[in-house]
Amino acid sequence: MSLMNIADYKRFDVINGRGLRHSIFTSGCTHHCKGCFNAATWNFNYGKPYTEELEEQIIGDLNMPDVQITGLSILGGEPFQNVDGLLRLASRVRNECSGKDIWVWSGYTFEEIIADDNKRKLLSCCDVLIDGKFILEQRNLKLKWRGSNNQRVIDVKESLRTKQAVLMPL
Amino acid sequence: MIVIKRDGSEVAFNQQKIIDAICAAMNSTKKKGDSELAQKIADKVTRKISKLEKVDIEHIQDEVQSALMNSRRKDAAEAYIGYREIRTLKRRERSSLDKKVLGLLELTNEEVLKENSNKDGATIPTQRDLLAGIMAKDFAQTYMIPKRVVGAHNSGDLHFHDQDYSPYFPIYNCMLIDLKGMLENGFKLGNAQIETPKSITTATAITAQIIAQVASHIYGGNTINEIDRILAPYVFESFKKHYRKGLEWLYMLEKDEIEDIDISWENKKLHKKYPRCFEYAKSLTEKETYDAFQSLEYEINTLVSANGQTPFSTFGFGRGLSWAERQIQIAILQNRIRGLGRDGKTAIFPKLIFGLEEGVNLKPGDPNYDIKQLALKCSTLRMYPDIISVPKVKEITGSFKFPMGCRSFLGRYEENGEELHDGRFNMGVVTANLPRIAVKANGSEAAFYRLLDELLEVCKEGLMYRIERLKGVKAKVAPILYMEGAAGSRLQPEDTIDHLLKNGRASISLGYIGIHETMMALYGTCLFDDQELRNKGLQIVQYLSQKAEQWKEETGYGFSLYSTPAESLCYRFCRLDEEKFGRVEGVTDKGYYTNSFHLDVNKKVTPFEKIQFEKDYPQYASGGFITYCEFDSMVNNPEALEAVWDYAYERVPYFGTNTPTDRCLECGFEGEFEATNTGFECPNCGNANPKTSSVIRRCCGYLSEPSQRPFNAGKQKEVLSRVKHM
Repeated sequence: MSLMNIADYKRFDVINGRGLRHSIFTSGCTHHCKGCFNAATWNFNYGKPYTEELEEQIIGDLNMPDVQITGLSILGGEPFQNVDGLLRLASRVRNECSGKDIWVWSGYTFEEIIADDNKRKLLSCCDVLIDGKFILEQRNLKLKWRGSNNQRVIDVKESLRTKQAVLMPL
Repeated sequence: MIVIKRDGSEVAFNQQKIIDAICAAMNSTKKKGDSELAQKIADKVTRKISKLEKVDIEHIQDEVQSALMNSRRKDAAEAYIGYREIRTLKRRERSSLDKKVLGLLELTNEEVLKENSNKDGATIPTQRDLLAGIMAKDFAQTYMIPKRVVGAHNSGDLHFHDQDYSPYFPIYNCMLIDLKGMLENGFKLGNAQIETPKSITTATAITAQIIAQVASHIYGGNTINEIDRILAPYVFESFKKHYRKGLEWLYMLEKDEIEDIDISWENKKLHKKYPRCFEYAKSLTEKETYDAFQSLEYEINTLVSANGQTPFSTFGFGRGLSWAERQIQIAILQNRIRGLGRDGKTAIFPKLIFGLEEGVNLKPGDPNYDIKQLALKCSTLRMYPDIISVPKVKEITGSFKFPMGCRSFLGRYEENGEELHDGRFNMGVVTANLPRIAVKANGSEAAFYRLLDELLEVCKEGLMYRIERLKGVKAKVAPILYMEGAAGSRLQPEDTIDHLLKNGRASISLGYIGIHETMMALYGTCLFDDQELRNKGLQIVQYLSQKAEQWKEETGYGFSLYSTPAESLCYRFCRLDEEKFGRVEGVTDKGYYTNSFHLDVNKKVTPFEKIQFEKDYPQYASGGFITYCEFDSMVNNPEALEAVWDYAYERVPYFGTNTPTDRCLECGFEGEFEATNTGFECPNCGNANPKTSSVIRRCCGYLSEPSQRPFNAGKQKEVLSRVKHM
């Protein structure tokens, strides 16, 4: 029995995060934001099971020698509702892919995440958090890396250190 | 009796005209004329028709013909029939020519109006050019181009490019303008004698004039090769000019005193003595350089050459390391980033190509690494610059130079023991329709190569004719090129240009199209998916390259293999082949043929796989090549583009990215507009008004604004089929 399902694994992503990245989209989300760009992934059984092989591939892809890959992006679904599966991947990236950063997108806010030990553990493996639900009324395609005005791009290390959300300079 | 002419007008019957026609027919035979008999036959015809009130001209001719046939001069009858047939044919040709001209007048001739997305066929100067083109092409096909080549062109076996200009006019394709030589030695332009400029402002103003003039005397693109290096001396001239002002006003020096001072950028001692003057001159010169390049960009985008279009112009730059060269690089990029006009629209011309080179600008720590960052930003916003890998171009073409126009590369050539690039040109292209012979070969490789040999013979005949047409041409037909130095020579009006064509100084190119469709037709699968097929695809291009090399050795002319951009040709060949063979799966069913060695635009692969797949072709197609990848908008992510550039730098000589750089002037959105049935729409605010949209797409080697001027049908299909490589 797999820990989680994966909606998609997209290599060489230039949209989600800074630099050239690989992106993993987890299945399952209970936020159900109106106007969600990826509503199919609300279902926790959507996509295919996350496997050892995929994990190996991701680690290998991040370390590919010929192409400068900046890091891994984790999107959903709601990554923080798949903490168990992601925690293993994120800590492997931390240990085995030196110099690669991790960006994560969540419908939870920074404050909600750090109030929960499990979620906080996953967050502490990441470098950048884009937080908050997508609010259709505040939709704005001109924003970098976000869909609506309420969402924030947060510097995780600095925020955890100071225990408050610190925005990344964009 | 009244005679009704072909155009419906009526004239009085005149028997003498019949006698004249019969005599003319008789005189064209060996037996010569017999005026007595002619009179008799004319009398007979007149008697037969005299009862009629009105008679049709064709009827009279029929009677003359049968009377002649029944006479003893059957030879004259045959001559008369032949003469009638030729006249009929001429009339029919005339009327098809008239139809084209009428189509232009009524703006219904799509083929002529949309052949070139850079021309606005609705405007009067462009219509004059298109009209001249229709006539020139008709004349060239009837009287000039070898018949076998005309036949092959019209049937779609090959394409003899640019017949609207050449061979009717003795004119060549594209070139590297010898701007350096012109500025250093002065030249005559129209009524004015131009001396060496004394500031960057003047230098760029003159450059615009030269480009306009040159573009009116050739039909392809023109390039200023290493414009940063060529114009740097004039930045230093401006610096001196401002320095003198600084000495005069900041340090109150007398004019005679200033005259004696050796002002130069390198004179550090002087700058120590007059530090404020140095800063003043530096700052003013930087601003002047920015302004000068802004004017130049505006000039090029606003002027219309005698060919009825904005000149196809390219700037190659990026290798210069001096302060002045760096200022030029920065000025070019910053102006492009800023955009044109109040709304900051993306400039279409000149095309920008940035030379990447380790030790210059490739890596952090290289002296111009900051300019690479600026180039990356510019490219995400404006699609240009494309990049050239300096070492790869050297490796593949034998020496470093930027391409002429969008992708035509010259080989290595020496004059007086030195490499020469500027002032050289391409004499023209004939493109072979490879997919057609692949379909004809019916799966047989041997048959394909046999047909290819036959086709290449005709291509060669066409190319040799292009050279032939330029031979003996006198310098006076294009003073700017041959007498004033743009082609690197200062000839007398009556001198011929023959020596400029020979020994590889100029190139002459065999083009090709559709390796992808060729492989589909021969083997039924996409060559990307099969290593053996990849080799076979490469072998075809290698074979073409060997042919070009063989012709070069045979003739002494610079034959090269060129990956044709095929803006309208991608559509024309495919349409003709669909008419001929019907719908052939994977070949004629898409409405376009794939550009040269490029991977099928519809194939979903990563950019790195695409680069890897295409990287082996340029070494054979060394007369012209480029690799493209399609991306989502990277406006927010120049770091990602850098990773792609760095990968390309190691593998391909010439690389461009197609990224959406559309802008909504209503809400400020930057990214990709959505294509709709009627045009393009902003995904953020739904704006679909072309007047407040800036939608830019790459069409062959140059950019276009399809929201303003739609593509031809095949190109539109090809553009819509493009998948993103990631």
